[in-house]
Amino acid sequence: MKTLLRFAMGATCALTTFCSVAAPREIKLPPETVLLRRSELPGAAIAAQKCAICHSADYVSYQPPGLTLAQWTAEVSKMQHAYGAPLTEGEVKEIGAYLAVAYGSAKENDAGVVAASRAPATAGAVQTRTAVADASGAIDVKALLNANSCLPCHAIDRKVVGPAYHDVAAKYAGDAQAVTKLVENIRKGGVGRWGPVTMPPVTGLTDAEAKALAEFVLKQ
Amino acid sequence: MPSRFSATSTSRRRFVQGAGAAALLSSPFAALAAVDAGEEVTFADGPRPLVAYPGKRPMIRVSTRPPHLETPFSVFNEGAITPNDAFFVRYHLANIPTSVDPGTYRVNIRGSVRTPLSLSLGELKKLAASVEVVAVNQCSGNSRGFSSPRVFGAQLANGAMGNARWVGVPLKAVLEKAGVSADAKQVVFDGLDSPVLPGTPDFRKALDIEHALSGEPMLAWSMNGQELPMLNGYPIKLIVPGFFGTYWVKHVSDIEVIDHAFSGHDAFFMTTAYRVPDNDCLCVAPGTAAAKTRPISTLPVRSFITSLASGAVVRSGHTVELKGIAFDGGSGIKTVDVSIDGGLTWRHAALGQDLGRFSFREWRLPVRFAHKGAAVLLVKASARNGEQQPLEASWNPAGYRRNVVESTPVTVA
Repeated sequence: MKTLLRFAMGATCALTTFCSVAAPREIKLPPETVLLRRSELPGAAIAAQKCAICHSADYVSYQPPGLTLAQWTAEVSKMQHAYGAPLTEGEVKEIGAYLAVAYGSAKENDAGVVAASRAPATAGAVQTRTAVADASGAIDVKALLNANSCLPCHAIDRKVVGPAYHDVAAKYAGDAQAVTKLVENIRKGGVGRWGPVTMPPVTGLTDAEAKALAEFVLKQ
Repeated sequence: MPSRFSATSTSRRRFVQGAGAAALLSSPFAALAAVDAGEEVTFADGPRPLVAYPGKRPMIRVSTRPPHLETPFSVFNEGAITPNDAFFVRYHLANIPTSVDPGTYRVNIRGSVRTPLSLSLGELKKLAASVEVVAVNQCSGNSRGFSSPRVFGAQLANGAMGNARWVGVPLKAVLEKAGVSADAKQVVFDGLDSPVLPGTPDFRKALDIEHALSGEPMLAWSMNGQELPMLNGYPIKLIVPGFFGTYWVKHVSDIEVIDHAFSGHDAFFMTTAYRVPDNDCLCVAPGTAAAKTRPISTLPVRSFITSLASGAVVRSGHTVELKGIAFDGGSGIKTVDVSIDGGLTWRHAALGQDLGRFSFREWRLPVRFAHKGAAVLLVKASARNGEQQPLEASWNPAGYRRNVVESTPVTVA
């Protein structure tokens, strides 16, 4: 009703030359409904987390069928080089392999897919772990936020794509289950709590890392 | 088969999968065999659904975020003007404005100018006498889904175009108010939409200074007598008659006059994307790369049948009035020719009201099908500048600028 009223006021404005007092025009976008195809390939989880920063999954699913591993990998490489997607070279290959199998002409046991999917995945996971804990085992939350590409979408004190950490902390203030709920939300992602944009699942976190992230957010 | 498929699209499928497909492979219309044409276009992952967005009737979803919506093709049969709530939507970057306050909105003009300006909407509207143009906005990648071989990018059918009556002030008047320096080379336009990641180039477009000062480009606030829909660029949109939609920047907020060719990180959508092969045909051999490219620019001549979809059934021995649209990059439509026998014979169609040289031009032609069976309808337009639609589609790596003669297979019963 509010929207309708605003729209009506806006329309009246267009007909008059002077229009000094007009309410802000607002729209609400519909939620995302398309999900990436499931796969056990390591590129699937990376794609769900990182591709979703900038675009919905239908950007992928509506591409022509039958594209090759080389074509899909080149497309992901373009996302990295032309559009600044936060991907390592290994992740580009892993995502390319996943997309070529899930949407293109490649098969899971093709030599190229196996080569792209195996080694870098393990190396990546190890790197993430060592990067976020110091010698004493304390978790470096800043490194965790960077390693999982949280900050392109979230800021402490303002909405970017997702809600400000401030606002998340305020929403759960006084909730005894806050840490548990946030850990769940971080790991599974979701949509609707803060608007129509889907938060991708953040996979590959240890229990301690997920808890550290949740506690960090709730302190803001 | 999904229940969403109607009987029409089933027969359409039969057409493309049956004996017709083999025959078509060797014909200029081979690309059409790969897909279902029409509203339930299947390019991959099943038919594209209709979705509701603010200010829009149900539109074909190309992508959810950033929003990319295609006009259902049946809309083009409703008239020469595309209604605002059916006009296609295309964003490149996911940070799009969902709230705009017209009271505080500013359009800044800066750079190589004598007096930088920061105009409120009221000031912009009073800056010069308003002008009006009916002009086609067509996406560079309109019909990309029909590229053969297929290419990456938004898989569009023919609905990423629209024709509207735009009212605004000439860009020329705004630039002259600011006083363009003698050394000005280009004018760069930026809108309120922005990238999610700092590493992603912003969406900015540039026009050569001669073009910007030609009097044709316009800063518009009115579309078909109403404010612009938010998703089409409220409150101010750059109108570039005759040029592809990529230049029609939405939510224009910043206009910079520069004394050099636009370059750098945020020039990506001029210097890397939206480019076509730099040769006479703007094309390359299918599947190959272009040695040299240039920015895409004007609309090639095109025409469509709107009154019948592919796979339609028509009755023999009865008069059927065929109807459609044609347009080009601004010379105007000279003739529209129609064939109902796959190109053996052609007849001139009658042209409808002339709404201006940048507008859709409606055409009509009563025809009678003598024989039962399969028939292929073709429509071919010629522009006043002598340009004609080709019978065979050319190819370029990004699938831009398609303007092949359209074919509509029907069954005569």
